[in-house]
Amino acid sequence: MLAHIVRRILVTIPVMAFVALFVFSLLYIAPGDPAAVIAGDQASPEDVEKIRKSLGLDRPFLTRFGEWSWLILQGDLGTSMFTGMPVMTLIGQRLEPTLSLMAVTLVLSVAVAVPMGVAAAWKAGTWLDRGLMGFAVLAFSVPVFVVGYVLAYVFALELDWFPVQGYTPLARGLGPWLQNLVLPAIALGCVYIALIARITRASMLQVLQQDYIRTARAKGMAQGGILFVHALKNAAIPIVTVIGIGIALLIGGAVVTESVFAIPGLGRLTVDAILRRDYPLIQGIVLLFSFVYVLVNLVVDLLYTMLDPRIRY
Amino acid sequence: MTAQSEVVAPAMRPAMAAPVPVPVGIAAAAPMPDVLPPVKVRRGLWGFVYRNPAIAFGAALLIVMLLIALLAPLLATVDPTALAPARRTRDPSWQHWFGTDMMGRDIYSRVLYGTRVSLAVGFSVAILASVAGLAVGLVSGFVRWADGILMRVMDGMMSIPPILLAITLMALTRGSVGNVITAITIAEFPRVARLVRSVVLSLREQPYVDAAVAAGTRTPMIILRHILPNTLAPMTVQATYICASAMIVESILSFIGAGTPPIIPSWGNIMADGRALWQVKPFIVFFPAVFLSLTVLAVNMLGDGLRDLLDPRMAKRL
Repeated sequence: MLAHIVRRILVTIPVMAFVALFVFSLLYIAPGDPAAVIAGDQASPEDVEKIRKSLGLDRPFLTRFGEWSWLILQGDLGTSMFTGMPVMTLIGQRLEPTLSLMAVTLVLSVAVAVPMGVAAAWKAGTWLDRGLMGFAVLAFSVPVFVVGYVLAYVFALELDWFPVQGYTPLARGLGPWLQNLVLPAIALGCVYIALIARITRASMLQVLQQDYIRTARAKGMAQGGILFVHALKNAAIPIVTVIGIGIALLIGGAVVTESVFAIPGLGRLTVDAILRRDYPLIQGIVLLFSFVYVLVNLVVDLLYTMLDPRIRY
Repeated sequence: MTAQSEVVAPAMRPAMAAPVPVPVGIAAAAPMPDVLPPVKVRRGLWGFVYRNPAIAFGAALLIVMLLIALLAPLLATVDPTALAPARRTRDPSWQHWFGTDMMGRDIYSRVLYGTRVSLAVGFSVAILASVAGLAVGLVSGFVRWADGILMRVMDGMMSIPPILLAITLMALTRGSVGNVITAITIAEFPRVARLVRSVVLSLREQPYVDAAVAAGTRTPMIILRHILPNTLAPMTVQATYICASAMIVESILSFIGAGTPPIIPSWGNIMADGRALWQVKPFIVFFPAVFLSLTVLAVNMLGDGLRDLLDPRMAKRL
């Protein structure tokens, strides 16, 4: 078991190394010469050359990549070209809203999608099933920001149930914090719910055909017990896997959702960084998100043994 | 989604309900009336529509969108880029069916022209990603030493969330339709490569491939004859999903200002123009949003229908 965990972690190292290499190449091939930018308009070519030397920009690609990686491992993501502040600080300031949004979305989506998928599988072929799966196809087809605008228009502007935009830190109380996050979380969660519900239904359909389900039924077990104790537990692996993979949707969607609902999080920071072509900042954000994504899927992988004791490594 | 399996099932039942031969000398019970009415097999186009409503709906809607894209110059009422400062942010009316935006441009005409951008991006990305994914998937399925390297690279690319990867690539280049297509293709094709590789690996174990190898067939011929035809079905389904996803990503890129140049009327750009005014003039965002959602829905339904049609075993599972 321990050997497996170690091996699994070792496998993610080349993946992360590739991501780092990719993200570094990004800055390397990015248009614009940082030395010229720092030197300013008045600088002579010699001055630019001097600055380039002092920054070490004239050295070979791999040497620079090595040094850059070494700094990253120490937690130094460089400095933002636009604000001059360390990328780590900028990201740190924006972490809470995004983490809050993703956490609320994750909890909400799983809480809605899994019972939805179970119900669809239980009533497979009926109108309930078709309705739920029809909703899933629809949710796949409407872009995040459109859902966001519709929700904000109906529930915030017209009905005035929730604030239209903005974010309240968790430190100011759970209620206000949650109130600001409900609509963005539903908007962001739509695709995610559709994805999880579809996989839950598919996985449950397979498990419900098994002999032990018939046995449970024969011994008079209540329907709810069969579905949620016997079946769901055995159908869990694909569901947990897709929850992990779907984090990518949440990360991509957060960038847009935060723009719609004016949440000052990492997504907004990303959009600002892109529009200002602030490459060190873009690098830092992409690296962080990818790292989180890989880490989540590593955890999912390790969860398999807990969910299904038959899986041994 | 499930319509396919239900239509097939009754057709098989009459065979099982064949009359049991009655031994001579025993009073025969009155023949049982047929419980099931005779199965009416519909043929031709309407039969296909009846059996595959999802494909029919998706294809029909997509054809409508294609026609709109092709005939945009005829259907549009005015030039989609014509500015008319005097007629800014008009509500929908007889003159401007979908209203006008902040610069007085006619949203109806812009939405029609936007169809071209979305369809072009969706179809191009689907085709390019399929070709690139097929190439990488075939190589890593057949060339052992390349497999490890290629799959690590694909894993690395897949560990960057696709929208984020596309946004990042767009930050490196100028905004243009070609660059948008390239960026989304790069973000999407590793998934195709993974799919093709897994199909290739399972096909290689098939007896008929062994037989072909034993008969001395060369690898290119095996790929052409035995592998490619079998990857076609899953790849077609995957391509429709990529097409749908590409159209959504294009609109997201344009929406946050990192996509098609603002001068080109794409659905994402129209919505980006309406962003500042969405609380007072929601129709600017609404009309392109409806068109985009309907088009993506059409492609998704086509994909679901094709999946059920091409792989009936999957129909039960998904």
